[in-house]
Amino acid sequence: MDELYREGEVAPSNSTPVKDPSHAPVVAMIGPPNSGKTTLFNQLTGLRQKVANYPGVTVEKHVGRAHLPGDQFIDLVDLPGVHGFSARSLDEQITRDVLEGKISGLRAPDALVLTIDSTRLESQLMLVEPVLKLEIPTLLVLNMWDELEERGGYVDDKVLGEQLGVEITRTNARTGLGVQAVQAFLASVSPQQATPPERNLKNVPEGRPLPMMDAFTARRQHVRRIVEAAGFGPPRPSGGSERLDAIALHKLWGPLLFLAVVITVFQSIFTWAVPLMDGVEFLISSSGEWIAATLADSWFRSLLIDGVWAGVGSVIVFLPQILILFLFLGVLEDSGYMARAAVIADRMMYRVGLQGRAFLPLLSGYACAIPAILAARTVDDERDRMATMFITPFMTCSARLPVYALLIAAFIPQRPILGPFLGQQAAVLLGLYGLGIVAAIGTAFVLKRTLLKARPGSFLMELPPYRIPSFRSIMLRLVDRSKIFLRRAGTVIFTVTLVLWVLTQFPRTEVGPPPIDDSALGQMGQVIEPVIEPLGYDWRIGVGLLTSLAAREVIVGTLGTIYGVEDDSEDSIVLQEALQRDLTVGSAIGLLVFFAFALQCMSTVAVMRRETAGWKWPLLQFTYMLTLAYVGAYIAVRIF
Amino acid sequence: MDTSEQSVESLAPLESGDLRLGDIPLQQTVELVNIDLPEDQAEPLLERGVLPGCQICPVRSSPSGDPIISVDGSLLALRRETADCLCVRLLTALQDVS
Ligand SMILES: Nc1nc2c(ncn2[C@@H]2O[C@H](COP(=O)(O)OP(=O)(O)O)[C@@H](O)[C@H]2O)c(=O)[nH]1
Repeated sequence: MDELYREGEVAPSNSTPVKDPSHAPVVAMIGPPNSGKTTLFNQLTGLRQKVANYPGVTVEKHVGRAHLPGDQFIDLVDLPGVHGFSARSLDEQITRDVLEGKISGLRAPDALVLTIDSTRLESQLMLVEPVLKLEIPTLLVLNMWDELEERGGYVDDKVLGEQLGVEITRTNARTGLGVQAVQAFLASVSPQQATPPERNLKNVPEGRPLPMMDAFTARRQHVRRIVEAAGFGPPRPSGGSERLDAIALHKLWGPLLFLAVVITVFQSIFTWAVPLMDGVEFLISSSGEWIAATLADSWFRSLLIDGVWAGVGSVIVFLPQILILFLFLGVLEDSGYMARAAVIADRMMYRVGLQGRAFLPLLSGYACAIPAILAARTVDDERDRMATMFITPFMTCSARLPVYALLIAAFIPQRPILGPFLGQQAAVLLGLYGLGIVAAIGTAFVLKRTLLKARPGSFLMELPPYRIPSFRSIMLRLVDRSKIFLRRAGTVIFTVTLVLWVLTQFPRTEVGPPPIDDSALGQMGQVIEPVIEPLGYDWRIGVGLLTSLAAREVIVGTLGTIYGVEDDSEDSIVLQEALQRDLTVGSAIGLLVFFAFALQCMSTVAVMRRETAGWKWPLLQFTYMLTLAYVGAYIAVRIF
Repeated sequence: MDTSEQSVESLAPLESGDLRLGDIPLQQTVELVNIDLPEDQAEPLLERGVLPGCQICPVRSSPSGDPIISVDGSLLALRRETADCLCVRLLTALQDVS
């Protein structure tokens, strides 16, 4: 957890010398999805939180430092929401590993905060028994108490706590009411000294001769006796939610609303984000020029400006788009609509062998495959999750757009097809989107019948009541996403651009860097020339394809450099003209098809490796998509 | 109405044992008798409170005709294939029996 401690040092609230930070107690927050766990976590930690990764396991957890009175601090770990511990989904596996103390680098928790939604008291209390069996000090938080009361429900929390044998408190995580009691509990936690005892979390107690269903029934009856003793009166159903569902799940309005939502998300990614992206681009290039002006002309300046600044900048440009996407997704998720969207999408997804939960990752894939692949964690069936992640990069991510824009502008004449509504250029762009979808569907279809073959699984989606999203948690999530994204741009892309730059600078000549065709990169382009010749490309495009392996849009910059070096100009019109000289229309269309299919994104490969805990899937995916791209491009070149 | 106690004793097949959740009209509350699914598929249902003895009410159907049920104050969306594996019985019939 050393990353966290480093953060602890910079946080001003921890500037007073307290105990050795390595002995700060660790408290894990658990609870079913939509119980308000994250809202409570945010109340307790505010901005002092971060997403931490632990090597070896696919864990991305939120870790934060709770601010307690009296200069005390606690490390809080927000675990994914789970209904049980059967470890069917990755989320359940992670939760289990953390609770059992099996994640290296993260101490087993010293205490637990179990958050449940009081409006669904009975079914949520089912989690209590297995959790208490762990014998870790636990606080049971009856969250959404406000809703329970508003809808006329009641329970005597004192009796409930006594009967269950657990410390208990009521909160409204949204307003912060009752959070002091949680803080008081956290303040009372003391770190466990010795290595914790071996723990083993079982969804159903083992050693009992009962089959699983009976074990659950027994637990359920136990819970029922307890809530009855505590005088539980269930709340009325939420009338507002029912009325909204009458529209959102209506036979006609439901799908129309769904479409409207999808179109709005698209629209926002592609049009509303543009001015922001232009702004970011302007900031990056002008700051680059400014730095260039302050430095003497040297290899170092070239490295910094042409390599690092341009390379990292070309990725940071996408930040506004990703933030807008996550703003929408955050609102959709927190409002409760996303669950309805998944229900509507389920039948469609089911036909290709996927399930409704795949809808969210696939939609995110239109902005960027990386957050999309992470979002696939919500897909609870492991095979479905694999298939979802596998086809996600076929969604036309925004990194393809600069490439599409360049080639379409250069090779496709702007002629109307459907009067003023659809021009030829737009039609080609739409066609490329369609191509991605077709490839994704076909791939999923084949995968689910071969490598990921399984009985048709079940789809089970909880529909939470509709709620007005909280501004604060959405903003926190955006901050979070930005951090992850920028860290990636700062590491992966930084390294790759550095290497690329070095390859263009060697072997040195007396006057400085070599002409691009003599450089190491140029020579590599010539090596692969025979392979791409059937597609009608020479070494220049070859170099572009090589560099685009790092990230698709890099090819635009690379081609600019190559042709710019030759013509001493980097004007994009000049680049278009140069490409028109070098490529036929057929091979340009082939190149578009190639980009529609190929997995030219090292970050995606890296994230796939992490999410699948191995190289098998990312390598298979990379090879498969590359083959498809090559064959597709070859066919396109023959046709056009 | 609390029916959980009775249901355990009466787990033996009834004549209405063939009734599946998929056959139940909307807004008709029924009691779950058995889950006719392999354990790994039944477990997520069990965890969410869909247990023999619980009361289920199909509240609406999704645009594609899949059921959305209310159980223990939660709304759950299922596929009809799953609903067809949930054996239920009518509560009115239950009262007749007792
Ligand atoms: N009325 C009310 N809403 C809450 C409360 N706690 C959380 N929420 C809302 O419930 C929704 C789900 O909360 P979230 O923290 O994302 O749940 P998680 O899935 O358990 O992390 C959000 O829209 C929250 O704003 C509460 O105590 N009362």
